[in-house]
Amino acid sequence: MAIVELQNVCKAYGAKIAVDNLSFRIEPGTMFGLLGPNGSGKTSTIRMMIGITVPDSGTIQLFGKPFDRNVLKRVGYLPEERGLYKKMKVMDQLVFLGQLHGLDAITASKRAHAWCERLQITEAIHKKTEDLSKGMQQKIQFISTLLHEPDLIIMDEPFSGLDPVNATLLIDTLVDLRKSGKTILFSTHRMDQVEKMCDQIALIHQSKLVLAGSMREIKSQYPRNRVQMNVTGDMSFLQHPSIESYKDYSGHVEIKLRSEHGVEPDAQALLADAIAHGSHISRFEVTEPTLEEIFIETVGTVSETNPTGGSLDA
Amino acid sequence: MHNVWLIAKREYFERIRTKSFLLMTIAIPLLMGGGILGGAMVGHKTQSNSHIAVVSIDLQMATDLQNELEHGKHTKMVVDIISPPGADTRKVLDGELADKQLDGYLWITPASNSHVRPRFLWTPKSRADIVTRGAISEALRTVMTTETLTHQGMDKSDVQLLMQPVELDSSQAGKNDDSESAFFSAYVLFFLMYFVIMLYGMNVARSIIEEKTSRIFEVLLATIRPEEMMAGKVIGVGSVGLTQVGIWLLTAILLTSTSLVAQATGSNFHVPLTAMQIVFFVVFFLLGYLLYSSIAAALGAMTNSEQELQQLNMFLVMPLALCMFSLSFVIPNPDGAAATAISFIPFCTPLIMYMRISMGHPSWLQIGASILLMIATIYAVLWLASRIYRVGILMYGKKPNLPEILRWLKYS
Repeated sequence: MAIVELQNVCKAYGAKIAVDNLSFRIEPGTMFGLLGPNGSGKTSTIRMMIGITVPDSGTIQLFGKPFDRNVLKRVGYLPEERGLYKKMKVMDQLVFLGQLHGLDAITASKRAHAWCERLQITEAIHKKTEDLSKGMQQKIQFISTLLHEPDLIIMDEPFSGLDPVNATLLIDTLVDLRKSGKTILFSTHRMDQVEKMCDQIALIHQSKLVLAGSMREIKSQYPRNRVQMNVTGDMSFLQHPSIESYKDYSGHVEIKLRSEHGVEPDAQALLADAIAHGSHISRFEVTEPTLEEIFIETVGTVSETNPTGGSLDA
Repeated sequence: MHNVWLIAKREYFERIRTKSFLLMTIAIPLLMGGGILGGAMVGHKTQSNSHIAVVSIDLQMATDLQNELEHGKHTKMVVDIISPPGADTRKVLDGELADKQLDGYLWITPASNSHVRPRFLWTPKSRADIVTRGAISEALRTVMTTETLTHQGMDKSDVQLLMQPVELDSSQAGKNDDSESAFFSAYVLFFLMYFVIMLYGMNVARSIIEEKTSRIFEVLLATIRPEEMMAGKVIGVGSVGLTQVGIWLLTAILLTSTSLVAQATGSNFHVPLTAMQIVFFVVFFLLGYLLYSSIAAALGAMTNSEQELQQLNMFLVMPLALCMFSLSFVIPNPDGAAATAISFIPFCTPLIMYMRISMGHPSWLQIGASILLMIATIYAVLWLASRIYRVGILMYGKKPNLPEILRWLKYS
């Protein structure tokens, strides 16, 4: 049974198509990344999953059943637009949000305290939300998503605006939750984050699904035609005929090799050539393309802004 | 239902705990009471105590006028008589006017024959002083009528008797609702209702905008329906209003029943709140509040900021203002055709029908029908508002135009 299953889901806001014929499924216990540039329809998709909006056509199933508001008690949702009651005290707020998810006040308060300790924000418990830093508010919102111990955790851009220390803290927490059997879906436009965390991904671009599947499967479809080099000295080996293109970041070079029909190219000749030119090489690594490179290869270019950007997908 | 209760509870306690709630609860009755008392006092004591000069060749007329103005019922002026005027009188008087020693002077030029009235030239220091002007005009009429009547051979005491104002004795009307204090209490309750509906209706809109700006609603929408959210808000904010009004009413009843007010003011004036009045007040307050706050909720969902709300709040203010204006013909004749018609416009029903019940005698049929009509309207407005709310609350950025809002109604 899939935890989430979308079949041919379409949604349009007036003339603007937000989601176009989207289908994918999320198996239990996976860390699922919903990827795509800004304005590609990630938030619209998520909103339909949890019943904030309804698809124009297609079906959405949660926990193997057609959508029903009662299952929302098993879902934790962190929206992209963070929001808390500014004037409310942190603990009151967490208890209130926990109660909305069906907890009683005592359980909610107990769990909230435990989480605050785990995320190292105990000093914030008795403060008003408006007195907290942005990072702290984000942690509190993170906690409010998890208080009712949901089986499915949906997070829209969970790490945006966090410093690396806190981002790592939240990533570790999510990894722990996945280990304990929870299913996690998060969306991001930062593909480098996803590479290490996700088991499965769905990549959408201009409202359409362009790639889906397990991380390993997707990567294995692409030949290992990338070379990462740390090199100083003579750089004339970069004119070698096996190189299709390269980027030189003074000392660090990223090379894309020519490959015919998915056949893995041989990098040995290039290495030999570089040594022959007398370059000093401290690293030479043949890799698969990164997710970002795969994405760019698939859709051409990443459009950072969405020209027809609808106000609904803020 | 549990969710509605949670939202309402949060809304209620967060509001009750604020300082502004406490301040309002204390300050508003003080302000209103002060305003009404002050207004009453000013109304009774609007009389002129100006210092004027009367210039006339006819000394008799000038003296009569002086008498009337200095010892009249509503005037306590100081009147100088210049008779007959000298060549430089006008210049002197103009100088005194400029030095602010005089508030004005009246120049009387006698008529050439007895069939024409004399000419009166009034030169005031300030043209805005209509009280003095009115008092002089009134006094002149009395003086002239008296003079003419005496001239025609009427006895002086007969003339005085004739000139006395007629007094209507209404002291026997005490048992009817139309007594002065009943009118007073109805008036106070009307404004209380007007004020609270206005204030708390706007509070619903504001609290929705607040949730929109803080983006909290998206978290809420992930567990509860927009309808529940709206219902919780309306109930929560409305209960705050009821609490406040409850405190005010209770204080008023306590004060009047222990006749503290009577002792304090040294009169036997009291505010008679009948049980009926209070019951109808609560019923119509609830209905009116529900109606206006659902409109406010829709307005709040349509807008993104307080400023934008200000532009739209005429939808709230206009019907209420209409009620205010209509008071001028509802109060004199609460059972008349116009009052009846207005009390059946649902947006005016809570205020006007309540006023009619307090001051007139609408039939039970009319009262029942108006309540039913209101409930139907509230239902329709809530239906519309919740649809606008559901879509509008997810809208940020640009302000929607009318066709867009109409399209929202069709969204599911």
